[in-house]
Amino acid sequence: MGRYLLKRLPQGMVVIFGVTVFVFIVTRVVGDPVKFMLPLSATAEQRAAQRHVMGLDRPILAQFWSFLGDVIHLDFGTSTYVRGKAALSVVFDYLPRTLQLVAAGMVLAVVLSIPLGLLASRKPGGALDRALTSLSLVGLSMPQFFLGSVLVIAFTVKLQWFQTGVGPLHRHLVLPAVCLALPAVGRLAMLVRSSMIDELNSQYVKVLKAKGMPARRILAVHALRNAGIPYVTLLGWEIIRALAGFTVVVESVFAWPGIGFMAKQAIAQQDFYLIQAIVFVVAVMVVVLNILIDVSYKLLDPRVTLR
Amino acid sequence: MKSFHRSVVGALAGVALVATTLGGAHAAAPATTPGTTASAAASGAAITVALGSEPTSLDPHTVDDGGERAINDNIYETLLTRDADGKLQPGLATALPTQVDPTTWRFTLRDGVTFHDGTTFTADAVVATVNRMIRLIQEKKTDNDGFYSTLASAKKVDDLTVDIVTTKPDGVLPARAYWLKIVAPGSETKDDLSDAPNGTGPYTFTSRETGVNIVLTANPTYWGGAPSISKVTYEFVSEAGTRLAGLKSGKYDLITNLAPNNVKEAPAYQAKQAQEHPILILNADGGITADPNVRKALNLAVDKQALIDGVYSGFATIDEGQLLSPSIVGYNDTIKAYPYDPEQAKQLIKAAGAEGKTITLVGESSGRWLNDKDLLETIAGYWQEIGLTVDLQTPEFGKYLDVLFDRNQRADAIFVSSSNDLLDPDRQLSTYYQAGGIGSSNSNKDLAALIDQGRQELNADARAKVYQDAVKMAYDQAYFVWLVSNQDVYGTSTRLVFTPRVDSKLLVKDMSVKA
Repeated sequence: MGRYLLKRLPQGMVVIFGVTVFVFIVTRVVGDPVKFMLPLSATAEQRAAQRHVMGLDRPILAQFWSFLGDVIHLDFGTSTYVRGKAALSVVFDYLPRTLQLVAAGMVLAVVLSIPLGLLASRKPGGALDRALTSLSLVGLSMPQFFLGSVLVIAFTVKLQWFQTGVGPLHRHLVLPAVCLALPAVGRLAMLVRSSMIDELNSQYVKVLKAKGMPARRILAVHALRNAGIPYVTLLGWEIIRALAGFTVVVESVFAWPGIGFMAKQAIAQQDFYLIQAIVFVVAVMVVVLNILIDVSYKLLDPRVTLR
Repeated sequence: MKSFHRSVVGALAGVALVATTLGGAHAAAPATTPGTTASAAASGAAITVALGSEPTSLDPHTVDDGGERAINDNIYETLLTRDADGKLQPGLATALPTQVDPTTWRFTLRDGVTFHDGTTFTADAVVATVNRMIRLIQEKKTDNDGFYSTLASAKKVDDLTVDIVTTKPDGVLPARAYWLKIVAPGSETKDDLSDAPNGTGPYTFTSRETGVNIVLTANPTYWGGAPSISKVTYEFVSEAGTRLAGLKSGKYDLITNLAPNNVKEAPAYQAKQAQEHPILILNADGGITADPNVRKALNLAVDKQALIDGVYSGFATIDEGQLLSPSIVGYNDTIKAYPYDPEQAKQLIKAAGAEGKTITLVGESSGRWLNDKDLLETIAGYWQEIGLTVDLQTPEFGKYLDVLFDRNQRADAIFVSSSNDLLDPDRQLSTYYQAGGIGSSNSNKDLAALIDQGRQELNADARAKVYQDAVKMAYDQAYFVWLVSNQDVYGTSTRLVFTPRVDSKLLVKDMSVKA
């Protein structure tokens, strides 16, 4: 394990570095925060002076070296959108709400997908299986901005059970968590179904059945556990996609102020500094999650060795 | 396998039960939000306001940001104010300023005013404010240098008298004094006042949770009398539909930028002609639009009333050919909008030999301005009808700004929606009318000279006359296609009493809640 981490950590750092450099290049090439900072009526001279103060008129290579020097000290500069605040501190202000949302959504996805997948796998091709499979397909193919709008109209406007924005969690977190979870439930349930069908038709299950082992025990102890590795892989991927993408949509629709919400603002305002800090933090989380997923294989299947 | 099946069904039923209980319990008890506390008395009520964007800072001087103003307009005060129709009124000064010499304005200050932290308001505060702004401009730490670049210094005459000195004669200074928020002595050396707002206004800063809300509480010792609403919570909701949903559910008492086609859904609404004017800037110096007759034809081709009805659901009025609202100094009431006359437009286009030629019209597609894409598509249709080919381009906002700010190559027609913060014509006209202004597309030296003259004219009546002449000159030359003046539309709860202002300020001290 120690050897494994020794190998993976430097790899992870290369990934984080690469992403950071990539974002630096993209934002500098296409963006200009000064355009958005100053009022429309600011003169060309005022704009030029502001660019000069921010160092944006320097050659891109010079900007890059000072950027690297700052990033090593975790200084991503001052946000131009949340004016006057260090970009990284803005990210940490908003990150807890994103973590809350992703945690709630993923717990919901696990709690729903396993039983649904198991139910569907009981009689492959049966009525229940067909119904659940169709439902899963609807869930996983529904675009989240659409699903989110439907949920808002139904549950906050018409029924008024829940509200958007921030407030007591039972009124504010449920809908965005459901919106984040549903497509994942569809994908995960389908995976549970197909893995279970494979497992339950396998030789060792037949042997266990012949031996007289109770069905419940076969499922819980043997089959489910063997279906664990693909499940954990897909779940990890779902978490990563939620953190690094889906929350942008869900948080915007439900006015849930996390880093996804902030990312949208930062991009709209071409706030390089905030974009860079957000991407950096997300990249770190993705790398850590990937390592955790690998480690979990070892826990699920002792035969796995991490190299 | 049967027993297992049962337990799965049981687990699912459990999840469903929890979900319904969560939802159901709260459907039964919606009165927990301030918005629906029906028992609140008329005085001491708390309201919640949904703004379209979170303030990017609460520093009253560094940013140019509607979210910041919506909140700080209640915390801070200015030397002069405006009444609901835009007329300058005394504020922290007891009267309009008097002229000591062409560059010195004398303000007499109100006695018995204190900052929220207990500091007494005197001439020192005005000096600190002016010095801070001058320093922020010099150090490029503010976006507002365009508003205050004429400030030279401030001198305390006595505790309640202060002179503000400008770098050159500045007719805009009274309007600037309506815009510059007064901060306490000692603030001049601080770069960022965002975390500890301290003004003299009717509301004090109570708390801020980043991304969530800002809470203000009534200032019981406010010199103008304690306001009737005791607490205001601001929330930030960028989606218009989400703001409306919150208003309908009773969470909010006031929402900004209610879409005109949604007014029927709101419990109540208010509309007011304010300062927003969508307009098309025509390139008078080159291309197809260099011919004044073509520019006139482009005006005559557009049915403004149809735009008002179709694009803005009736919540707009016709712009009478001048970009300025009637509440602004220099509004020329002798100018009438170009009529809708497609036949004459066709003839002008034919006579100019422009028939079948292509005209480029550039707007933006990020939804920055209300229904702007619909507006431009409709206008492109009108222009096609008079015999032109329209190349309509609506890139994302950043790319659009590149076109608007491109001083070397002006597009034939550029859409912009212009607002007026100071309620003074100088900034709008300098930006879009005056040759060399960042959004202007003409090189008329006479017009530019008039705008320079207006800026330096100190006599209010003479100043108005100069601007009236300037807007008439631009009208005769048809440098723009003038369209409409948008109304601000607010959604409110049925209990909120609120009268919108021409300057769009949301002054909570002037609001109340029905008992």
